[in-house]
Parts: sequence; structure tokens; C-alpha cells
Amino acid sequence: MTSELEQELKQLIIDTLELEDVTPEDIDPDEPLFVEGLGLDSIDALELGLALQKRYGIKLEADSDETRHHFRNLRTLAALVEERRNA
Amino acid sequence: MTTPAMMYVHDWRAWQPGRRDTAHSRLSVEEKPAGAQVPMMLRRRLTSIGRALCDMLAELDAEADYPLLYASRHGDGERTLAMLEALADEAPLSPARFGLSVHNAIPGVYSIGRGNRRTQQAIAASGDEFAALLSEAQGYLHQGEPSVIIAFAEQPIPARFTAHFTTPVAAAAVALRLSLTPSDTAWSLHQRALANAGSANDADAPQPSDLIDWLCGLRDELPCHRQRLAWRLERTG
Repeated sequence: MTSELEQELKQLIIDTLELEDVTPEDIDPDEPLFVEGLGLDSIDALELGLALQKRYGIKLEADSDETRHHFRNLRTLAALVEERRNA
Repeated sequence: MTTPAMMYVHDWRAWQPGRRDTAHSRLSVEEKPAGAQVPMMLRRRLTSIGRALCDMLAELDAEADYPLLYASRHGDGERTLAMLEALADEAPLSPARFGLSVHNAIPGVYSIGRGNRRTQQAIAASGDEFAALLSEAQGYLHQGEPSVIIAFAEQPIPARFTAHFTTPVAAAAVALRLSLTPSDTAWSLHQRALANAGSANDADAPQPSDLIDWLCGLRDELPCHRQRLAWRLERTG
């Protein structure tokens, strides 16, 4: 079950990270986003952090355990945005 | 009069999108090159010219085992200018774009994508790129490398800068596999010194599209007046 916010974040990831051959259906909300699963890299993490800041006003520490947790998969990312957007 | 060959051109590939007047099996005119040899997660960060180069290099260096000498006078001017404009507006820079703003970005992505761990060089030479590539190639070959790949790529200069250049630059890329050893199908490459001091005009700087004309046989000699050099090919194959 994918929420509206998760759907929005999937599209944000695809557009921001220029994942040309990936569709929203390809992103499993419970699979890892980085290294395994979708296979994003450290530059993507910075790029995604910047997109979250631009779109939702969320600022994250670049290299904290907390950020690692938020970036684990689409569900943890959606939970972060739900909690902190335009806070 | 025959001068000894300075090197041999064993194979070449070229890309010039939309070029209509020339048909050649080694020339691609694709608007959107595939870049299929590079995994998608790397390829997504390449523009058309980067993809074209990766396609060309995969064909010239199937085992991903030759040193690569890459030259571009201007590099990716549009992306660099976009970043400068973002800095001027105090807007955050895209990390991915920043990461690829270095002059060796395309060879770097190619080497990661294809697993080529050999020497690479990225050269900018104020319009003398082809002369520089040939000197560098000679160096590696005389040191004992059996073959090297040279690549030369340019893209249109951003509109904001065009007033500073007399010659418009067409998007084009060309890559050659060179060695010191002849073969039945290799072409010999000859260099001669030009007597007159040429103008130091930008219009005299050979560009990738000029190299394509030369390789396709549309011109006999490729001059670089600022270096007072000219090159000629003797075709066998």
C-alpha cells in the first residue's frame, strides 16, 4: 500500500536523481534506497537532501545516524517528511 | 615526397548529431546516443556527448584496456555557467552536477562504467587540442604502450560567451586508436611543418568536426596554423 506522500516522494527521487529508466512502481517502499535495493550512491544522498530542503524545508545533517535512518527506505523517508515538513 | 609516418590510425569513431551531408559507417549522427555500455546508474549523469563518447570508446577498446587521452577546449560550458549563475544567486549547487564539472568527468565515468583502470589524461589546450593529443600519444607509444586511444570532443559555447570566439563550435566528438605499428588496414598519419607563421586566430584551431571531415576524406590536410603543423592520412584499408 503506497500513500500519496510516498508516491510523491518516488516521483521526486526519479526526477531529482535523473533515474531515466526507473518508474515509480520499480521503487519498493520497504527496500533500501542506497547501495542495495534501488542502488543510489553518496552523491544521490546529497542531492536528495537538497531536494528535501527545497521542497519541504527539511534540513538534515549530512553525516549523522539520524539521517542514515531517515534515508533507509521510502517509508522512513515519508515518515520524516510527514513529521517535519514546513515545521 | 613521402615523410615517414608518425603514427598509424588503426580505427576511429565519430559523432556529430544531425550531420546530414556525410554518411560513413564510423560516423554516428544520432541525436540521442545510447551509452548502452555504461550501467544506467552511471549513464544517467552523462549528457549526449558523454554517452556518444562511451559508445565510441566501447567499440574502439572492446577489452577496456588502453590508455585514454581526452581533450576538449571548452568542456561542458553550459553546466559550468549554470553553476556559476547559481553561485551568483546564492542558490545551492547540485552535488551531482558539481561532481561532474571536472574536465575529466566523461573519461572518469567511462573508466568506472567499463572497468578501465589504465592511464587517463584530460587536456585543454586553447585550440591546439589535436596537436596536444598527438604529442601525448607519441609519448605513451614511445614508452612502450602498444596502442592508445585519443578522443576530442566539443560542445556549443554558451550564448553568453560566443562573442569571445570567432568560430561557432558544433557538438561533435571523435576518437582514434593509434599505434606505432602498421597493419594491412591501418592508415599512416604524417605530419609536416608549415613554413609560414600562421595567424593565432581562433578560426585556425582544428575542431572535432574538422577532424571528421578529414577522417571521412573530405579534406586532404588538417592544419593547425598556430602550431605551424599539418597532418595528412595515407589510406590503405
